[in-house]
Amino acid sequence: MMSNLVFLPIFIPLFFGALLVFFNKKQKATVNISFLVVLLSFGVSIFLSYHVFSNGPLILETGGWKAPYGIILVADKLSVIMILAVNVIALTAAIFALSSVTEKMVEHYFYPLFFLLIAGVSGAFLTGDLFNLFVFFEVLLMASYGLIIIGGSKHQFRESVKYILLNLFSSILFVTTVAFLYSVTGTVNMAQLGERVAQVEQQGILTGIGILLFIVFATKGALFPLYFWLPKSYIVPSPIVSALFGALLTKVGVYSMLRVFTLIFSHKLELTHTFFIWIATLTMIIGVIGALSTSNVKLIIAYNIMPAIGFMLLGIGTFSAESLAGTIYYLVHDMAIKAALFFLAGLLVWHAGTSNLKKMGGYIKTAPLMGWMFFIASLILAGIPPFSGFIGKYLLLRGAMDEGHYIAAGVGLLSSLLILFSVIRIFIGAFWGELKEEPKQSVRTSGLAASAVLIAISILLGVGAEWFYPYVQAAADSLIDPQIYIDYVLKE
Amino acid sequence: MEILMSILAGTLFAAGVYLILQKQLLKIVLGTALLSHGAHLFILTMGKLNRGKPPILIEGIKDYTDPLPQALILTSIVISFGVTSFLLVLAYRTYQSNKTDMMDQLRGTDDE
Amino acid sequence: MLHIYILLPFLAALLIGLAAKKVDRIHTGWFVLPVPAVLFILFISKLPILAEGKIVQSIANWIPSLDIQLSFYLDGLSMLFSLLITGIGSLVVLYSIFYLSKKEQLVHFYVYLLLFMGSMLGVVLSDNVFVLYTFWEFTSISSFLLIGFWFYRERSTYGAQKSMLVTVFGGLAMLGALILLSITAETNSIREMIANRSEIIESDLFIPILLLLLIGAFTKSAQFPFHSWLPDAMEAPTPVSAYLHSATMVKAGIYLVARFSLIFSGTDVFFIIVSGVGLITLCLGSILASRQTDLKAILAYSTISQLGMIMTMLGFGTGIATLAAIFHIFNHATFKGSLFMIAGIVDHETGTRDIRRLGGLYTFMPISATLAFFGAFSMAGVPLPIFNGFLSKEMFFDSSLKLEQTSGFAGTFAEWIPLLAVIGSIFTFVYSMYLVFGTFAGKAKLDQLEKKPHEAPIGMLISPIILIGFVVLIGLLPNLINESLLAPAVASVTGDFAQIHLKFWHGLNGPLYMSLIVVAVGTILALTLKRWQPIYNRVPGKFSTDRVYQTIVNGLLSFSSKFTKFYMTGSLRLYTSIILVFLVVSTSIFIYVTDGFKIAFDDLAPVTWPEVLVGFVMAVAAIATIWMTQRIAAIIVIGVVGYGLSLLFVFFRAPDLALTQLIVETITVALFLLCFAHLPKLKKSDKKSSEKLVDFVIAASTGALLTVVAISSHSSKYFESISKYFVDNSYKLGGGDNIVNVILVDFRGLDTLFEIAVLGLAALGIYAMIKYRDKGDMNH
Repeated sequence: MMSNLVFLPIFIPLFFGALLVFFNKKQKATVNISFLVVLLSFGVSIFLSYHVFSNGPLILETGGWKAPYGIILVADKLSVIMILAVNVIALTAAIFALSSVTEKMVEHYFYPLFFLLIAGVSGAFLTGDLFNLFVFFEVLLMASYGLIIIGGSKHQFRESVKYILLNLFSSILFVTTVAFLYSVTGTVNMAQLGERVAQVEQQGILTGIGILLFIVFATKGALFPLYFWLPKSYIVPSPIVSALFGALLTKVGVYSMLRVFTLIFSHKLELTHTFFIWIATLTMIIGVIGALSTSNVKLIIAYNIMPAIGFMLLGIGTFSAESLAGTIYYLVHDMAIKAALFFLAGLLVWHAGTSNLKKMGGYIKTAPLMGWMFFIASLILAGIPPFSGFIGKYLLLRGAMDEGHYIAAGVGLLSSLLILFSVIRIFIGAFWGELKEEPKQSVRTSGLAASAVLIAISILLGVGAEWFYPYVQAAADSLIDPQIYIDYVLKE
Repeated sequence: MEILMSILAGTLFAAGVYLILQKQLLKIVLGTALLSHGAHLFILTMGKLNRGKPPILIEGIKDYTDPLPQALILTSIVISFGVTSFLLVLAYRTYQSNKTDMMDQLRGTDDE
Repeated sequence: MLHIYILLPFLAALLIGLAAKKVDRIHTGWFVLPVPAVLFILFISKLPILAEGKIVQSIANWIPSLDIQLSFYLDGLSMLFSLLITGIGSLVVLYSIFYLSKKEQLVHFYVYLLLFMGSMLGVVLSDNVFVLYTFWEFTSISSFLLIGFWFYRERSTYGAQKSMLVTVFGGLAMLGALILLSITAETNSIREMIANRSEIIESDLFIPILLLLLIGAFTKSAQFPFHSWLPDAMEAPTPVSAYLHSATMVKAGIYLVARFSLIFSGTDVFFIIVSGVGLITLCLGSILASRQTDLKAILAYSTISQLGMIMTMLGFGTGIATLAAIFHIFNHATFKGSLFMIAGIVDHETGTRDIRRLGGLYTFMPISATLAFFGAFSMAGVPLPIFNGFLSKEMFFDSSLKLEQTSGFAGTFAEWIPLLAVIGSIFTFVYSMYLVFGTFAGKAKLDQLEKKPHEAPIGMLISPIILIGFVVLIGLLPNLINESLLAPAVASVTGDFAQIHLKFWHGLNGPLYMSLIVVAVGTILALTLKRWQPIYNRVPGKFSTDRVYQTIVNGLLSFSSKFTKFYMTGSLRLYTSIILVFLVVSTSIFIYVTDGFKIAFDDLAPVTWPEVLVGFVMAVAAIATIWMTQRIAAIIVIGVVGYGLSLLFVFFRAPDLALTQLIVETITVALFLLCFAHLPKLKKSDKKSSEKLVDFVIAASTGALLTVVAISSHSSKYFESISKYFVDNSYKLGGGDNIVNVILVDFRGLDTLFEIAVLGLAALGIYAMIKYRDKGDMNH
């Protein structure tokens, strides 16, 4: 099936993002227009998902050039799941923005940057071309560079320098690696890469190139030991930006790994994927250690990104239909819950006037709704059933144990406990206890509403797993057999 | 020739890496410029060098040098240019607001 | 049907959460009370079905794709627990109506309590192990919320956090066990697992499964060495202690062991671990209880100890031991529940639970005192036919003498069990006596009390009276519940529907002598308790495992903090170095292992001197940048590299590239010049030579690695490039002679579109940075 529909999730934010550049002085109008645009895009993504799951994948040959010569966009099951998730995040971010995006932020081009970020992320999820993936990476990174410094505090400049430099390095490595891969295979089309690498059984230098590519994505995805840029740079920007970063950026890295290491480099599993399992295990450990290391609530949430990424990589490393489904499920779950937690942490910090947990206490009295939402979000994050985190975790652990990766599974179990500990500390410290200081400002309603939507989705993803799981399983099944994707793209 | 060019690109990369390990922000930015150059040279080398004519079609000639790496490099050059410019201005603003351009003084703590 | 039973408390919680605040004249408890009461009656009405040896079951879809189904069944074991949950639940709710004043956050309290009730029913009725796990974690969470009910008290939040960490830790271990079980037995249903017993027993994973499952059970049931959360959980309101932390939730671990007995029981490992841990817990708990001064602390340790006793009997696994365990689960719920309620009454009426300030309360609160007397004597196992506790304890002694293990380590261990059982029971006797006589007998110390004590209101007394009624009734007529309740429960644990007649008098036999020793030695020790106090205080008990917990938690936090600060220094150089080292090392290893390096000389362009010369100059210039201290010089050398690259592009037949590179390089150099005016001068590196060496090694190896990969890639061109298509079709289909341009604007137009987007974004960012500077922080 050919359809321009595939381009819409990229085009809508791109177009309106560009348009809104000219409205940076009109706060009200911009906020409202943006909200409508996000709604539109959300609607499109639902339609797209519906279409793909009922009629099969969609392909757009951009410029009318067929694969592998032109750039194609491929909306297969995995891609549309990701697109849908991105749009949910965008929608809740737009709700959060209603009461948190200030005139100055609008003036600093928050919305154009926001939309370009969404466009870049969506592009990365849809493209079927490795070099084009690099281009979309650059779009989303450039947008993130712009977003991280909105506000212009010296902390932001300081941390963004590190963030940009490390990402810049990995981008340069990315483009170089694409060239290496081109030299060996003569193509940059992902389906054809999959086909050709399979033909030569991933011999010679190909595995080495694969590892370079893994390191590129691992840097974006903040895996051990490439995550240094993440924690601090995620806490300096405005909460809405932190939430967007936490929900989307690292996930693009994970998605890319999921795609590349199932479709292209999946012929030396005993080497590469065993390596991934070790990296995953170490990432979980180092992540929870980080999450327990600080009293800064935003930093606790930021560190919690890493064990989640570790879980997802565990699924890729295990490489069974079950564990890949676990990775996808966890990916979607984590996008929702990380955004919710960053929102809530932001609201809490505004409420308390400090991000230091030791200076907080007793806010359950002044902000009960926020407190209980935080509590539920903590349980969801830790993978307590029947919420969304459990389904993914269950599949991942089961997959890992089934394949005999007991150490990784054990670390996964233990890290769940420590994840819970790290966030329940926030609940106990900030919401229980005596009220130490009067809150600095009341909780912003649209912020709570945005978090509530995400929490509701997470609960639904868990309690109503049966409504979603078959789709995820179908997406995972098509990953485990890359020939489906290759045939679809190349042999139509 | 390709081997020599690979070594040259590797050298540019190494010099770039050495610079980004330095303390002074400016040196680091210079380093990223070298890294980009190295990367572009790598890409070019990955096509076959010096085979055929420049990729501009002329009647009667069949052999052209590989155009795809060139197209990729062009895209990449423009992107690196954007990022480098951004980084330069950021370096300047960082220096201005933090009153230092030495990375070892740009560390920060948990409690901010 | 069972679904509705489980759902009912959750629905009630929802309803009360939404509506009860509207009605503030009536105590919320009155709205809650019908829930457990009705459920209790409903469960009772199922008794005849079970007596016929049948079970009640119902199944509903939840996540069929994952085989996580809401399948529930009610057999003898679940019936016993369901009756405890709803029966004790009703009494506790009734008691709480008088215990908690209307000023408390009653809605919260009852919502948590109902959540617990529903979850606990879910635990004991689930057939699907992952549904069981779900409810299991929910009991931990509701327990957390109930312990932290007085959230402004530090002790409460500490206890809540501790109980959650310990029980969730156990829960996760159990999850591990359940997943392994499910993989091994290829089913998620408990009953099917039991049917596939042999596959589990013979699996290599048998020991890990057993250990993980037992960690789950031991943490929940406060068994050594995980017991120390229970005393801290006493910060919860007393009705909660009576309900969750003595009668029901802490018995979930017992339930789990009993439920899986049909799989594990009969193996030596199971016997040694379960009975061993049970006995240690029995003895340690009773000894520690003897030195407590807080009424609730005594009862908490007593609960630990009694749970240890039940665990021990489940470890024995014989018919008589199982019956004794089941019987004791029931008996313990009656006497311990009532004792907790009375401790609450004493606290409520005197303002203290410190036994050193209490005494002689018999004259002020005779009813409570009498009830406490019956409860404590039953707990102590005083050999009179009016105490149900004696009957089950007698059977415990009896079963300890009739163990089947005779050979090996298990046999040796079995020989020592009667002795340990007696020791544990002696101290049980001691603290029971201390509890009741210390509080109610002797001289009153009214001056040490905050208020003048008087008897509790009748509403508060109803529940303990009913419970003590059971103590006496069952003591007198134990077979009243034997056939209908105990025998079916035993049958679901042992698989054997054998009836054992319960009776008080078995003649002068071993167990009776053991009981008499307990009473005799116990009396002496109880009378001389004060003298032994220093010795009790030396026993490393609460404080040892408590300290272990503290050390772990604090150690974890401080280690995390130190470790993270150690490497998250904010130093870009460190971060970059680690990333690069990882890059070089891991990629090199992979290239080495896969034999990836390859160099081929057959398909190379000839070496020509102009290119080599330009390349050499570029290399020298690139390396020279390292030493540049003059800004202009730095620009020049960077320019040399950039323009050199343009020249190479010309040589290598890439005219468009050369042109673009020329323009971009010129603008970049101009930008550098512009920025230099605003940035400080380049400084000479003040690094130590060792640091420089490290930098050099990292840089050189990164460059070398990429060169190696590049050469190998170039030497392994396995396929023809897709570029041929571009050459063939550029004019024909793309309408342009310049192939590169056609690729950019047509074949790969999307890249170009977004390349422009990147450029636009960069411009936007730069513009914002320059235009809107110095407006201060807006997010902080």
